[in-house]
Amino acid sequence: MHILEHFHLKVIVPIEVFGIDISITNLTLSLFAAAAVFLTLLILLALKPKIIPGKRQIVIEMLLVFIKRNLVYNMIGKKEGDRWVPLIGGIFIFVLANNLIGLIPGLYTPTSNPMVPVTLAVIVFFTVQITNLRMHGFKGIVRTLAPAAVPSWMYVIVVPIETISMIAKPFSLFIRLMANMLAGHTIIFVLFGLILYFKSYFIAIPVIPFAVIMTIFEIFVSAIQAYIFAVLSAMYIGEAVKPKH
Amino acid sequence: MDPKTAALITAGFTMAIGGIGPAIAIGSLVGKALEGIARQPEAGGQIQTAMFIGIAFAEAIALYALVVAFLLIFVA
Repeated sequence: MHILEHFHLKVIVPIEVFGIDISITNLTLSLFAAAAVFLTLLILLALKPKIIPGKRQIVIEMLLVFIKRNLVYNMIGKKEGDRWVPLIGGIFIFVLANNLIGLIPGLYTPTSNPMVPVTLAVIVFFTVQITNLRMHGFKGIVRTLAPAAVPSWMYVIVVPIETISMIAKPFSLFIRLMANMLAGHTIIFVLFGLILYFKSYFIAIPVIPFAVIMTIFEIFVSAIQAYIFAVLSAMYIGEAVKPKH
Repeated sequence: MDPKTAALITAGFTMAIGGIGPAIAIGSLVGKALEGIARQPEAGGQIQTAMFIGIAFAEAIALYALVVAFLLIFVA
C-alpha cells in the first residue's frame, strides 16, 4: 500500500475536448461536493434577510463582517477595501470549503493537489500585478522592484532580491496551503495504517484516540490555513493598492 | 550505499534539521505574543492576527523541508 494512495487521481468519467483532458476525477467530484454543500448552506442561511437578523441570519452576517473587518479593512484599508471584499471573501470561503470537504472519509482534498492552490496563487499574482499597473502605471511596478528609499548603488543587490520575492510570494502561498493539507491528511492516514501494518487490533486502542485528536486539530488547521491564505492575498493586494515606498 | 537508501536517510535528516528552525521561531513568536496579550489584553485581537501571520511564515519553512523530503522519498 502506497503512503500517498488517497492522493492519487482516479478518472471516473473520461472526457476529452480537442485533445485537452478534462475528465471528471475524484478531485473534480470533491470540488463539486464542496461547492454544493457550501452553496446550499450559504443560500439557506441567507434566505429571506430581515433588517433585524434572526439566529439563522446572524451566522452569515458574522462571517461577512469577519471577512470585511478582519481580512479586508485591516490589510487594504477602509477607503479602497470595499472593492476587494468579494474577491477575498470568495478565496476564503472556497479554500475553507475545499479544506473541510477533504476531512470526510472517502473524499479527495482538492487543495492538497498542487493544481488547485497553484490556480489560486496565479489568480492572486496577476490580480496584484494588474492592480499595481492600473493604480500606479508602469512606474508602480518599477517602484516595487527598485524602491526609491534605497541609495542608487544598492540597486545591483535590491532589484534581483525584489524580483525573486515577487515570484516567491505566490509560490510560498501555494506551497503553504498544499503542504499543510498534504501533511495533515497523511498523518491521519499513517496512524490508521499502523493498524494494518502491525496486523493487530490492539494497536487500535492507542491509535484511535490519537487519530480523533488529529482530526479535530485538522479542522482547526483547515480554518487557519483558509484564513492565512485570504489574509496574505489581502496583504499582497494591499501592498499594490498603497505602496509603502 | 545505493541511491535509494541515501535518499531515504537524507529525507529523514531534511525533516529533522528543517524542523528545528521553525520550532524555535514559533515558540518565540507565541511566547512574545502571549507576553503582549498579558500586558495589554485589549489589544489581544490585533496581536493574535499578527501572530498567526508570523506563524504561517515560520511554518512555511518546515513545509518546504517536508516537500523536499517527499520529493526525495518518491522521486529520487
